Amino acid sequence: MSSSTDDRQVVITGAGAVSALGFGADVLWDAMKAGRVGIAPLVHPRAESLRVRVAAQVPAFDPSTLFDERTLPLLDRVSQFGLLAANEAMAQSGLHFDEASGTRAAVIVGTGVGGETTQDAASEKLYGENSQRLHPLTIVRIMANAVSSHICVRHGITGPSFAVSSACASANHAIAQAVLAIRSGLVDVAITGGTEACLSYGVFRAWEAMRVLSDDTCRPFCRQRHGLVLGEGAGMFVIESLAHARARGAKVLAHIAGVGMSADAGDIVAPSDAGAARAMRAALADARMDPADVDYINAHGTGTLANDVTETRAIHMALGSHAMHPAVSSTKSMHGHALGASGALELIAVMGALTEGVIPPTMNALEPDPACNLDIVFHAARQTPVRAALSNSFAFGGLNAVLALRA
Amino acid sequence: MTDPIESRVFDIIAKSAGVDREKVTPETTFKDLGLGSLDAIEVIFDIEEAFDIHLPEQDANLDADTASGLVAAVRQAMASGTPATT
Repeated sequence: MSSSTDDRQVVITGAGAVSALGFGADVLWDAMKAGRVGIAPLVHPRAESLRVRVAAQVPAFDPSTLFDERTLPLLDRVSQFGLLAANEAMAQSGLHFDEASGTRAAVIVGTGVGGETTQDAASEKLYGENSQRLHPLTIVRIMANAVSSHICVRHGITGPSFAVSSACASANHAIAQAVLAIRSGLVDVAITGGTEACLSYGVFRAWEAMRVLSDDTCRPFCRQRHGLVLGEGAGMFVIESLAHARARGAKVLAHIAGVGMSADAGDIVAPSDAGAARAMRAALADARMDPADVDYINAHGTGTLANDVTETRAIHMALGSHAMHPAVSSTKSMHGHALGASGALELIAVMGALTEGVIPPTMNALEPDPACNLDIVFHAARQTPVRAALSNSFAFGGLNAVLALRA
Repeated sequence: MTDPIESRVFDIIAKSAGVDREKVTPETTFKDLGLGSLDAIEVIFDIEEAFDIHLPEQDANLDADTASGLVAAVRQAMASGTPATT
């Protein structure tokens, strides 16, 4: 491989996560390998009145032990998750920025709803308590770019920084932007991923009205599946050009070989097999990867009737005669659907699969849905070498983003 | 057409689909009327609001449901007295 091709390659050198399965990327990966399900009865002050029965919630924690007293008042829950994951990823990468190198780094973070916890509390205060005054930090907590800003402040990053929003595909869209920024030479390094803290009363009520929530658990690709389970959390990554990683002797965890994005330009909620397939094909083409190379697909796999069968068709359209080759799983059955953070949590699963040759399972299935004719890994992890993998994210609004990865 | 529940449900479906009321029959499906999944959950929302009921939570394939099936679901919800607030 020529050095110019090498320069263009983007690698992951740090990862961090917060999820229903605990704090830490290793904690998440170990839980996924073990098939541990983070979906549990909903804990919420208004749980009694909600129809939602279950969620994949981050375990209780005391933020005052994790953030200093000057920073904490500025942080919505979504920024707390994002910062914790980013700090973990930075620690693993071994990177530190000074005045010069800070200008050559970007922070690009996906979030579907931003500071929803603060938004919901503000609404309650205004409409529920008839208060005429909100806390002066309400705006800086709610703004969707807050977490990107705090990561910059914490790590001395002064290059391009912004939020990316595409509902359930936000993390993958953000990671794609970061990859392109590095490839273009705009920056050498980026902190990227997704974060979401969406489990508010208002959001639950809105999802109830969509009639796509499961009342017991998430059963992707199962004949008896009947909906998704909302989750929360964050996944963050330090990514950099291969040249930059080599120059500083960093350990490469995985290569982000390609990105593919598409818009269905059709129905605002019903998924499109053609749109999803176009994003998968685009990721393969960008990575110069053959369909036969793909050994694992981390599916979008929400567990709704519509998604799983449509995604199955999309995989057949994108991979053609090779569609039955890759092992496929949906880790949402364990960490729930964390909307804008989902793609980032799922990238942890893909990195683990590439590194250890272990496919994390699709849990909770009663019987396989024959309409989902793929090599789905159900019930328990499978050991198999993984040379390359795809990670699918398909959002409401018909916006699709797929990452192609290599070991 | 004398049944008031059926009549009201059919009114709501016709209004959502933007079709003449006469086009909605007991056998009509959402698909027949060109209603997509988002239209279908809007119809259900309108019906819940109109009758002050809660129709069962489900990630159902609404395309195949007939208008008469929806009327039956409304009757069942009204008979079971499921309060709309739960």
